[in-house]
Amino acid sequence: MFTGSMLFTTFVILLGAGGVYLLLPHRHGQAKTQTVYIAGAVLAGLGLVGFLSFLSAPADLDLSQLDKLLSAVFFYSFSASALGCGVMTVTSRNPIYSALWFAGVVLSTAGLFLLAGAQFLAAGTVIVYAGAIIVTFLFVIMLAQMEGKAVYDRSARTPGAAVLTCFLLLGALVVCLVDTRFAPVGANTPGQPRNPQTFLPRGRELAEVHQLHPTNLQRIALAHALRSTSSIYTESKQEKPDVAGLGESLYADHLLTVELAGSLLFAALIAAVAITNPKRPVRPGDPEPIGTSV
Amino acid sequence: MPDLPAPDLFTIDLLRNYLLVGAALFALGMLGFLSRRNLIVMFLSAEMMLQGTALSLVGFGRYHGNWTGQVFTIVILTVAACEASIAMALVVVLYNRRSSLDVTLWQDIREATVGVATIDEAAEAEPIEVVPGIESYPQLTPAGVEPAHPVQSWTERRR
Repeated sequence: MFTGSMLFTTFVILLGAGGVYLLLPHRHGQAKTQTVYIAGAVLAGLGLVGFLSFLSAPADLDLSQLDKLLSAVFFYSFSASALGCGVMTVTSRNPIYSALWFAGVVLSTAGLFLLAGAQFLAAGTVIVYAGAIIVTFLFVIMLAQMEGKAVYDRSARTPGAAVLTCFLLLGALVVCLVDTRFAPVGANTPGQPRNPQTFLPRGRELAEVHQLHPTNLQRIALAHALRSTSSIYTESKQEKPDVAGLGESLYADHLLTVELAGSLLFAALIAAVAITNPKRPVRPGDPEPIGTSV
Repeated sequence: MPDLPAPDLFTIDLLRNYLLVGAALFALGMLGFLSRRNLIVMFLSAEMMLQGTALSLVGFGRYHGNWTGQVFTIVILTVAACEASIAMALVVVLYNRRSSLDVTLWQDIREATVGVATIDEAAEAEPIEVVPGIESYPQLTPAGVEPAHPVQSWTERRR
């Protein structure tokens, strides 16, 4: 069945794919004229605007509720800047600009985290990614590619096939997500158990239900699976403060995960030191060391 | 049937928004990983795929009202930091071998049983000719005869 919304989705995906293909470097490294870049930017921008139209604004959006309006505006702007910076990361010729655009992606994602109520993760993402990983990448770029643009940055590797693959994946995901219609959450008739096919049951709803399971075994299993430490809400249905609740869950339910993460960081440190074994310096008069000549 | 908790402000439409943006970031990162030839840009694209996944996980965790998505995102952060450190170490080592960040030059890092690629991509993907345009490098007019200067191998910068 090929409905109108699917047709629109396909059109938007094709716009984005064409724009990104025009913005990507040429396969053989040939220069592209400025007209091609402008056309690619226009197509990709139109695709981005079309993609933003898939995002659903809050249903009861009126100007009197300033908080909902503000959160919608911030969500749209963060999404647009994340996707735009993502396109620029992929298509930039200069790897330094790629790294800087990726910092934009990270900052926008941190804003989206904030809107989803994950304050600790927003701060952690900015600190770890923008503060540490980007700086490492930039450092290595400066170390290994001082002259900026290189020949291999001006040529892409099978750009047509890559664009086809990735936008096919994106189109399939978008069609799945957009065309799935769930019934409104509050639309059940009272007294009737809701049909699980028509909505996505929340974990907190399951946690409420587990107390009245008939057999003791099911109740114990569900109570173990849905512990109170892993819930965002307290017993009185108030939201826990973010960092306190996350820390509680992290060190009560996921203690082994924390230990594993620490061990992984330690192993990565040792591996990085072992890999970058410094070479013996070349002195005048030495024979040419093996491996330096291509 | 107990009375269910009050409807959450984070509705399924908001969850779908997060999943859409995460999917788009994932696809863009995959595009960069498949099509770019600079190893550092490839790793940046991989990090972008991780960002898209983290966005979906945080949305799901917020929808279901538990911390699991955020905990797994912290694990993703850890793995990304480890990956970046090891990747940068590999980049430095491989750059010392080949003096280039081009991944198509490193086709010989493979298992012996996997055959050599039929197309020599490194040779094929070189620029055919320098077309005057916005991407061509600036050129200076050659001024006079280059003076004779002794070139010592250890003073040359690798490029």
